[in-house]
Amino acid sequence: MVKIQYQFKRSTPLRLLSHLDQQRLFQRAFRRANIPIEYSQGFNPHPKMSFALAMSVGLTSDGEYGEVIISGDMKVDEFISRMNQVLPNGLEIVSAKICGDGVGSLSAALCKSIYQIKIKILPEIDFENLAESIQAYLALPQIFIQKRNKRGKFVEKDIRPFIEAISVSPDEETDKANIKMTLVYIDQQCVKPEHILTSINNQNGAVFIIDPTIEIHREELLIKADS
Amino acid sequence: MNNFIEKNILPLVTKPITYLGNEVNAVHKTPNAEMIRFAFAFPDTYEVGMSHLGMKILYGLLNEAEDIWCERVFAPWVDMEEQLLKHNLPLYGLESMMPLNEYDFVGFTLQYEMSYSNILNMLKLGHITLRSSQRQEDEPFVIAGGPCSYNPEPLSDFIDLFVIGEGEEVILKIMETHRLWQKNKGKRQDFLKMAATIEGVYVPSFYEVSYDENTGVITAFTPMVAEAPATIRKQFIEDLDTAYFPEKIVVSYTETVHDRISYEIFRGCGRGCRFCQAGMIYRPTREKSLPTIQEKIRALIEATGYDEVSLSSLSTGDYSEIEMLIKNLVAEYEDEKVSISLPSLRIDSLSIDMLEEIQKVRKAGLTLAPEAGTQRMRDVINKGVTEENLMDTVRTAFEKGWGHVKLYFMIGLPGETLEDIEGIADLGQKVVDEYYKLDRESRNKSLKVVLSASSFVPKPFTPFQWMGQNTREEFQDKQRHLKNSIKDRKISYSWHDSGVSFLEAVFARGDRRLGLVLEKAHQKGCRFDGWGEYFDLEKWTEAFAEAGVDPDFYALRDRSYDEILPWDFIDTGVTKKFLQAEALKAEAAVTTPFCPESCSNCGIMEFKKGWKCNG
Repeated sequence: MVKIQYQFKRSTPLRLLSHLDQQRLFQRAFRRANIPIEYSQGFNPHPKMSFALAMSVGLTSDGEYGEVIISGDMKVDEFISRMNQVLPNGLEIVSAKICGDGVGSLSAALCKSIYQIKIKILPEIDFENLAESIQAYLALPQIFIQKRNKRGKFVEKDIRPFIEAISVSPDEETDKANIKMTLVYIDQQCVKPEHILTSINNQNGAVFIIDPTIEIHREELLIKADS
Repeated sequence: MNNFIEKNILPLVTKPITYLGNEVNAVHKTPNAEMIRFAFAFPDTYEVGMSHLGMKILYGLLNEAEDIWCERVFAPWVDMEEQLLKHNLPLYGLESMMPLNEYDFVGFTLQYEMSYSNILNMLKLGHITLRSSQRQEDEPFVIAGGPCSYNPEPLSDFIDLFVIGEGEEVILKIMETHRLWQKNKGKRQDFLKMAATIEGVYVPSFYEVSYDENTGVITAFTPMVAEAPATIRKQFIEDLDTAYFPEKIVVSYTETVHDRISYEIFRGCGRGCRFCQAGMIYRPTREKSLPTIQEKIRALIEATGYDEVSLSSLSTGDYSEIEMLIKNLVAEYEDEKVSISLPSLRIDSLSIDMLEEIQKVRKAGLTLAPEAGTQRMRDVINKGVTEENLMDTVRTAFEKGWGHVKLYFMIGLPGETLEDIEGIADLGQKVVDEYYKLDRESRNKSLKVVLSASSFVPKPFTPFQWMGQNTREEFQDKQRHLKNSIKDRKISYSWHDSGVSFLEAVFARGDRRLGLVLEKAHQKGCRFDGWGEYFDLEKWTEAFAEAGVDPDFYALRDRSYDEILPWDFIDTGVTKKFLQAEALKAEAAVTTPFCPESCSNCGIMEFKKGWKCNG
């Protein structure tokens, strides 16, 4: 029995998968790849597999993490090649390693997410305005957003501590802006980049056009080295 | 178009991934000018359509041919429909995202009457002319098959040709005819004439129907061109064991209604239940062999990664080697955590043993279908099940730890009395009593008995094809009576009929005059009639009135045995004489034996030369 931790990419063809769809997809891919996964005991056995993060619909990523416990031994190279043979276009395993016992959970090891975002800016906003707006936003000591808690009530949440950096650059090909965002995890929690974009609009006057054509890409997910 | 839809539209709709056609095992080809482009259309949502076995078979079969590219199209959900309309984009085939009106064929499968309005809606969304008579030379041929095409008449204004019977062989003949026709650069009409000569193909525009001015019944059904035969013979595959079955099936990303491998172990059914259309039209019974089944299931699991296999058929327990099959499959897959499920089990204790075998630990709900509440009524419908069978079954089930039993019934069966209705409640009570006979220690902690009753819809090619359906008032009275007859709080009762079964009865036994009604209902926005939230009886009532068609004529009227029925031109192999004899036996509550026990001469053995049932 061995735990394999793997890093994978999700690109445009499968960006519209839901988290549940993706879980099912991996489960079936393991079977197609003939990788013997361990199951939990009990009335309704489920495969021992997990992901560091749930991916939201629309997100593409270069660095997601997943874990699976397999019975028996397997070389990581073989794991990678067998999986990539059966995964549909849009998902790819980029690396994998065998984890020792006593390694903590993936979600507890999350440190930072680095995002690349392409978003339309309002016609009256030029690039300088945008840069100023972001500067002013980052200068705020506290930034509150309304968030629904588990009981469905709205509560205020200060999101400033989760934001490490935001930088902007114009997109060469389109009229969109490129936003780079570095967000940190505190107690396994973070903020969704779409919420930050909305909050920027709400703070110093609207700059972005928030619509479904926003492209969000996770460039990197940093996790603690020992996990 | 693809890029625009992916970027601007799909992020706005629910289940966007179902509109991209990029699932595992979806077939993608590089098209060329000669390639036949075929859109297999399922007139309901992706989740429903992707659970359908027939589509998987024909999709695989057509794509075996290098010069055919078969793709899929489903009824877009209302949010997607709104977006397509808003951007004036046509409905498209999923794999290539080509607009529907650019295909050579759009082939609908007709699984239930309540999907007919979706067919019109999909044609409209696909920018295809609704009426076949008005279709331009370069538009697709709109074809249809499946169980409802055994009475194709209500759709005859919109469908260029129907396939009657099992499609595996006929569809290839149609493709061959198309190749020939394309080579000769023929006209639309030429193709239809060529296709009309293929056995099992029905081209409705080549026939004329006349009606009696006073009574409205059909007086004649006449072929108008030399190519069109007076009788259309249904097609069936003689050797199911060697017949094509795909080794790869498309694996949906989203959860579908039946999210598992569905493997057909036999076709047809010899039970002869008189209400059941499938039991008559899919005759004769043909089995696949044990090695074939096991080998194909292995291949399918490897190609899909599914962890559940359902052994499908009309009555799975009737497979001649069912116990051996289950034992082998359970032994083979237990360690791999692949589970086996058995739909359509009959009521006998053998079934419980089989369920026990496959569900080693979990005791999910047990669903049984006695169909009627009294023995007399079960004899009328020839459901060869006794109260003793049922009680033995539930006792065994309770002993083995089940606690949740659901019983299915129909109401509005021929000759039904209030006593038969009360019988349903009594049967529920007896099931409850059976549970309490067991020791507290050996039975499940909680008991729940659900009685579910649906309104009976008489169907063509059954012994009940001549009878009028109960009126909505009769149904409501019977439902109320049933509800009042239930005394025990452990019994819950579910019933819902918003008028759907009335409409189903109209279209099941309708004729060509319903085309106008369908068109009007479509113009009023009817679609997804099988989905409670979108069914609008009022719109349908208006459509009937505007078209000058009386729906009661089709649903409620008792027909005489000598009336020309709209579907009489189809020969299913089961003779009208047999159906009539069965109807008379039903009146006398006399049963007919299971085919392997004794042949009742339904006609299927004479239908095809050299065919012999049961060996």
